[in-house]
Amino acid sequence: MSAVAIELDDVGLTFAPASDAPTVALEAVTCAFEPGKVTGLIGPSGCGKSTLLQIARGFLSPTQGSLQFIDRSNGKATPRPAMSTVWQAFNLFPWLSVMDNVAFGLDLAGTPQEQRDARARRAIAAVDLTGFEGRYPRQLSGGMRQRVGLARALVMEPEVLLLDEPFGALDAQTRLVLQEQLAHLVESSSTTAILVTHSIEEAILLSDAILVMTARPGRVAARIEVALPRPRSVVTTRDPSFSGLFDHIYGLLRDEVMRAMVTGQEDAQ
Amino acid sequence: MSVSPLTKEGELAQANKGYSLLDDPRVLGWGSIVLMLAVWEAAAWLFNVSALYLPRPSQIIVALVTLFGSGGLALDLGVTLWRIFAGFAIALISGTLLGLWIATSFRVRAVADMFIAALYPLPKITLIPLLIIWLGTGGPFMLAISFLGAIFPIVINTVLGVSQCDQGLILAARDLGATPQQIMRRVLLPCAIPSIFAGVRLGLGVSIILVVAAEMVVGKAGLGARLYLAGQILETEQVFAILIVLAMLGIIVTKVQDAVDAALGNWRAD
Repeated sequence: MSAVAIELDDVGLTFAPASDAPTVALEAVTCAFEPGKVTGLIGPSGCGKSTLLQIARGFLSPTQGSLQFIDRSNGKATPRPAMSTVWQAFNLFPWLSVMDNVAFGLDLAGTPQEQRDARARRAIAAVDLTGFEGRYPRQLSGGMRQRVGLARALVMEPEVLLLDEPFGALDAQTRLVLQEQLAHLVESSSTTAILVTHSIEEAILLSDAILVMTARPGRVAARIEVALPRPRSVVTTRDPSFSGLFDHIYGLLRDEVMRAMVTGQEDAQ
Repeated sequence: MSVSPLTKEGELAQANKGYSLLDDPRVLGWGSIVLMLAVWEAAAWLFNVSALYLPRPSQIIVALVTLFGSGGLALDLGVTLWRIFAGFAIALISGTLLGLWIATSFRVRAVADMFIAALYPLPKITLIPLLIIWLGTGGPFMLAISFLGAIFPIVINTVLGVSQCDQGLILAARDLGATPQQIMRRVLLPCAIPSIFAGVRLGLGVSIILVVAAEMVVGKAGLGARLYLAGQILETEQVFAILIVLAMLGIIVTKVQDAVDAALGNWRAD
């Protein structure tokens, strides 16, 4: 089990394109993503949630502040742990079969054939897609595609799983089923996960802690611990403490969403 | 099988009357050619047209068989095919690599854009005199002319295909640990394949035209040279026979390309 936490200290990111006014995407973000926990990131559109995820992944460098990986067992800084991302747009390779999509990362690393096949099959089984190995993405439904996306990330055995609005492109029912499946997967493993979402319900259902972000420039407005018992499912949503949490987060978000909408209008003008 | 976009005639007819021969595009296509040849044969015979001016299809077929049988046309066909496909193959490999390089390097692109803008619209046939001065009229000249016909559409379409590649796929590959080289080979290249193939279609067509045209100008062997010679000595049946071989070549190339296109279905999302 990984003991590496991701710590952000006063992280800011300003996009400064040569031809346009600079945009402050993130400002003074200080937070920690604890090992073995699922941390939800929720906030209005354009608040920099995905940007924060990209910073954690190392695809974007903060223009201010620092990002550190701390081994909680000894308190020392460590190199970046292995990370895999699940994308809102799935980002499956359309010319590869389910099997080859899932094994893509293993192939890049030159994993021996036998081990590659075994690991890919295990990941495909974990998302209930056994029997679909030979299909191509275009032959699958949205929900099945995202399960391939999940398997492709899980097969890498990441220490940190980054979920970038993983169910954002799916219909409500599919979403519900996949949320339950993902809740089950994170409960049975001890992966650290960061979940970016627009859905308060999804954030509560899956997370151990939720960071509520402000409208742009994004900052962390509140950190809310979710103490609801696991395993969680749709039934959890009828728990009185669930509605309490929901109302609390909604209250925090509502003002920020209003602010984001007003700012959006100004931007459009 | 395609259905007219204006009416759903084909579908309706099949639903109402069951299968009819006239609903099959292959029957319609080949049937109309056979019909046209029959009318031609009958008219030429009826009005007693001189074979020097317009030979009958039956005479053309006899000429075709004779040319292949004792006239060595098979060798000419082989020579022409070799010239077309050798130059084309070099253009395909180098054009794809060059396209990948242009598409992934800002500086190379800035340089290449100017050269492509200057050279692409130039009718390649105008380069024949210069190429003859440089290379003579032998094998290297034929390779060069076929290469020049195909390279531009292939480079341009490779660049287009790579630049249209979904950024999400590139990010996903990076996320899974791909190096820049791996991204190029395993993401950008497959992404560009349908587009590269569109370039192949255009390029191969131009290569065929250029090689046959060059053979007509300078060739001692090849379909173009035989065609030109037959015209010079007023062997009209032979002219038609060689045109038929060229037309058949066109049909085969087009059908193979259609088949490849259909097989590329998996390359396209949705």
